[in-house]
Amino acid sequence: MIVGEQKPLEEIWEMIKNHRQLTVFGCNTCVAVCHQGGNKEAEILASLLRMKVTQENIELEIVDSGIERQCEHEFFDSKQDLLQKSEAVLSLACGIGVQFMAAKYPQTPIYPGLNTTFLGDVPAKGQYVEKCQACGDCVLGVTGGICPVSRCCKRLFNGPCGGSTDGKCEISKEIDCAWQLVVDRLEALGRLDDYEKVAPIKDWSKDRAGGPRSFKLEDF
Amino acid sequence: MQALLESVGVDHERLQFYNLSAAMGPRWAEICSEFTEKIIELGPSPIHRALQDQADLKSQKKQEA
Repeated sequence: MIVGEQKPLEEIWEMIKNHRQLTVFGCNTCVAVCHQGGNKEAEILASLLRMKVTQENIELEIVDSGIERQCEHEFFDSKQDLLQKSEAVLSLACGIGVQFMAAKYPQTPIYPGLNTTFLGDVPAKGQYVEKCQACGDCVLGVTGGICPVSRCCKRLFNGPCGGSTDGKCEISKEIDCAWQLVVDRLEALGRLDDYEKVAPIKDWSKDRAGGPRSFKLEDF
Repeated sequence: MQALLESVGVDHERLQFYNLSAAMGPRWAEICSEFTEKIIELGPSPIHRALQDQADLKSQKKQEA
């Protein structure tokens, strides 16, 4: 899922303080899982901003709302009236949702309430770890399900760099050496011979090097 | 949550979470009393003060008019 972290309140305040009305708008799917941008968080952030408005003694009406996903048109139907009447929106979606809203409401300023940080999983409650960089050319099939693009700090494709110690990366003792994980996993699968195979040069044109990516289903 | 309150200038001590069962009535009453004393000691919140200042200003303007 997409993981994000709420921007510092001061940064948010600087973006919104000159408006007279603001809708704090949650996105209740990915960023709700990391407790940063869901409808509940929209409610909390709106309350905090109202407190700030009171203390700063300015006129700014703040309402909160949200939908399940800010990246698809159909989810907006129930909130059309509110959004069309809003002077400005603080979107708690990832960067995708913010941009989708900006395109959908071209006359309304849409501000980002989050910093979109990575694509990751939830290995333990309250812990989020990057696992994918959407490189567009998945190699998990040959690396035993461990991604060298997102988990190796150097993005190496043919074994470790030589800097790792006790299975940890030289960047930080908190970070596992991705290639140690690959070897352990291949060993567990009885496929250590795969480790000896030299990986071909990766086609980075499928990553960001090829510009913004998209695809279209023929059936639609 | 306490850190969030601090970010808008509200003392984090104004919020406290307790985990109690429905069978812990006496402890609940005790906590309520203790917390009330603490809030009285801390005095009006900055939000209350800001609202009070705004109300005072409003009534002052009304009197002047």
